[in-house]
Amino acid sequence: MNRDELNRALLGAHAREEQIELVRLYTLAAEERERARDTDAACFYLTHAFVFALECGAPEAIELNQRLADLGRIHRLAF
Amino acid sequence: MNKISRLSSVLTKVNTANGLPNEHYVDPDTFIEEKHTVLFANWSGIGFGKDIPEVGDAKPVDFLGMPLLLVRDRDGEIGVFQNTCRHRGMILVSKPQKIRGAIRCPYHSWCYSLKGELRATPHVGGPGQNKHDDVNLSDLSLVRIRSFVWRDVIFVNVDGSAGAFEEVHCELMERWKEFDVPIFHGGETSGFKLDVKSNWKLAVENYCESYHLPWVHPGLNSYSRLEDHYNIEVRDQYSGQGTLVYRQLTDHDGETLPDFAGLSDKWEEGAEYIAVYPNVLLGVQRDHSFAIVLEPVNQENTVEHIELYYATSEKDTPEYDGLRASNAQQWKTVFEEDVFVVEGMQKGRHGELFDGGRFSPVMDGPTHNFHHWVATQIEIGRTG
Repeated sequence: MNRDELNRALLGAHAREEQIELVRLYTLAAEERERARDTDAACFYLTHAFVFALECGAPEAIELNQRLADLGRIHRLAF
Repeated sequence: MNKISRLSSVLTKVNTANGLPNEHYVDPDTFIEEKHTVLFANWSGIGFGKDIPEVGDAKPVDFLGMPLLLVRDRDGEIGVFQNTCRHRGMILVSKPQKIRGAIRCPYHSWCYSLKGELRATPHVGGPGQNKHDDVNLSDLSLVRIRSFVWRDVIFVNVDGSAGAFEEVHCELMERWKEFDVPIFHGGETSGFKLDVKSNWKLAVENYCESYHLPWVHPGLNSYSRLEDHYNIEVRDQYSGQGTLVYRQLTDHDGETLPDFAGLSDKWEEGAEYIAVYPNVLLGVQRDHSFAIVLEPVNQENTVEHIELYYATSEKDTPEYDGLRASNAQQWKTVFEEDVFVVEGMQKGRHGELFDGGRFSPVMDGPTHNFHHWVATQIEIGRTG
């Protein structure tokens, strides 16, 4: 999925309020930025993935919190 | 203009007392005063546990203009919070919903747990930086409102100044200890609401006296006569009425609803109807109970939320669906018969020469007890 396709998919998932899909797509966006060594942008997307995971109670919230915490970007939460 | 009323004529014995002055029914400024001194300073009913039956259920409630949020957390406990984000004051939850993980503010996505703890502050330290030294999560939980659930009614003390619910209402809780058993809401047919063009207090006043029964509820009076009733009044606490001739509803096969377990003989034909000040009306009978939460909209309008409960669940005893529906209809008829009275008294309160009225020393004790309590709360508020 290239960046344009990812953007379109994200907008669609937002429109349909598909939280699990938002978690997946924002994680993909973060990983694409990680590969480009753009840590700030990666953390931006990881943040969104984490927030939607936290909101919908998805188990991914634990790992996403850990990834951000490892980068010094968030408090580590107890789940 | 707020006309500061003199309440000394209320704060005397029923034989010579007047009722609360007109301002307490028609004046918007006095309504605001009562909002704080009567409704926020005491334990007021705002909803029912049955409205948030499952973990994660959340329901926003507007209580006298104050946005509140009812939540059932992962321990099954009910919590009440101010429905306002600690960040920019955004309303958090605008319609009843299931919270699967966290309450997310729709504005900047600050997230809270079902216990109100702040869990995430996305980008608070800049893009992708979700923490900041000066933003301490533990300082910014949702504002929890003191709450207590009794007989499935969710009571709140908004200003935090009241004594503990179990202390304030210990005598009533003891009085009805026999009914401290599991109760089950009767389902869709067992809940209804009435919009009445009346000050909320008039619904309390009418509820807690039996004087009007033969005139307003002639059908009820055919078997439950005035002389079969007794007054219930405990100064500074609660009041109401009891009957000695409660008769169970029967269907065409002679079936009755199951009784609550373990009741003493007193309740075989006894029933009681008590106003839990300020705004909750409860009734108990051997085979069902009900709760009415009066939602004061403004000085001239009230919504009566009425819910009926039974000894067995709707799911486990579908064979009683018909009786439950008939019972609810019977009560609805009674409560609808009262509407013209409370609305009529509201209209009458615009009579500027009305002095608050005189009470029957024998029949109106429960109503005067309520007026006395309201006047006392207002005086406490005025004198600090």
